Amino acid sequence: MFKRSLSGRVSLILDQNERQLLRNLFNQSLELLEKDDVQQHDDPLMQLMNMDGPTEISSDQALARLFPDAYHDDDEASGDFRRYTEPDLRRAKLENVRVVLDVLDDDQPKVQLTPAQVQAWLLALNDLRLILGTRIGIGEDNENFDSVDESDDEEIAEDANPGLYLYDYLTYLQEMLIQAI
Amino acid sequence: MSVFPSSVMEPEVITDLPWVTLVWNDPINLMNYVTYVFQTYFGYDKIKAEKLMLDVHNLGRATVNSGTREEMERDVAAMHSYGLWATTQRDDK
Repeated sequence: MFKRSLSGRVSLILDQNERQLLRNLFNQSLELLEKDDVQQHDDPLMQLMNMDGPTEISSDQALARLFPDAYHDDDEASGDFRRYTEPDLRRAKLENVRVVLDVLDDDQPKVQLTPAQVQAWLLALNDLRLILGTRIGIGEDNENFDSVDESDDEEIAEDANPGLYLYDYLTYLQEMLIQAI
Repeated sequence: MSVFPSSVMEPEVITDLPWVTLVWNDPINLMNYVTYVFQTYFGYDKIKAEKLMLDVHNLGRATVNSGTREEMERDVAAMHSYGLWATTQRDDK
């Protein structure tokens, strides 16, 4: 969990199991963000001009959620936007995950975070929730998920989908972090 | 892929219609996180940020900023960096 001290610094308190679990999950974020399944321009001039990003939205649902189209009704403008911005956006998201993994590598039960580390945690945790939530279909019309807030059904729903348990845990962590900042 | 020149490179057509940044509702982002992003990135006070967040939540989308196309593309990229689902378009109102 996250805690804010009187001095305003945010600390991360995790037991060994939590650290291991989070390491695994964030490594999957890292893997997904490093995945090169999108078409890239291999023109050196385009690369030099930082225009070497993909022009089409990813066919991977989670990547499509992390890098959505910037225009609703204009594929061409969306493609241009993506080509200019996605490589930087991807690098920034990757860097956040790396900062988080560095913190998790510190085997102390309580780690005091710098403001930059807090920011990286906030964004990387949110991206991880987006990835996992997309994968397990949060928000899709599925009666399993409609009832998760009702305690009677919670156990059943989580049994049916262990991803939902992880998702709830990440949501809890993020709530704590937002409260701490 | 289109053979037409990039719209980003085209000279901006002078128009009365400014561009807007829209943020869309999604089932994953937490309400207080969205409020936090609006406060942090746009510098809105809590009341304005919460109103916009509730518009996103209840109406499905909210116009969170307006300006030139370049400015709005910057906003959209920033929103995507926070994991919010944002788009830009000409203001149609």
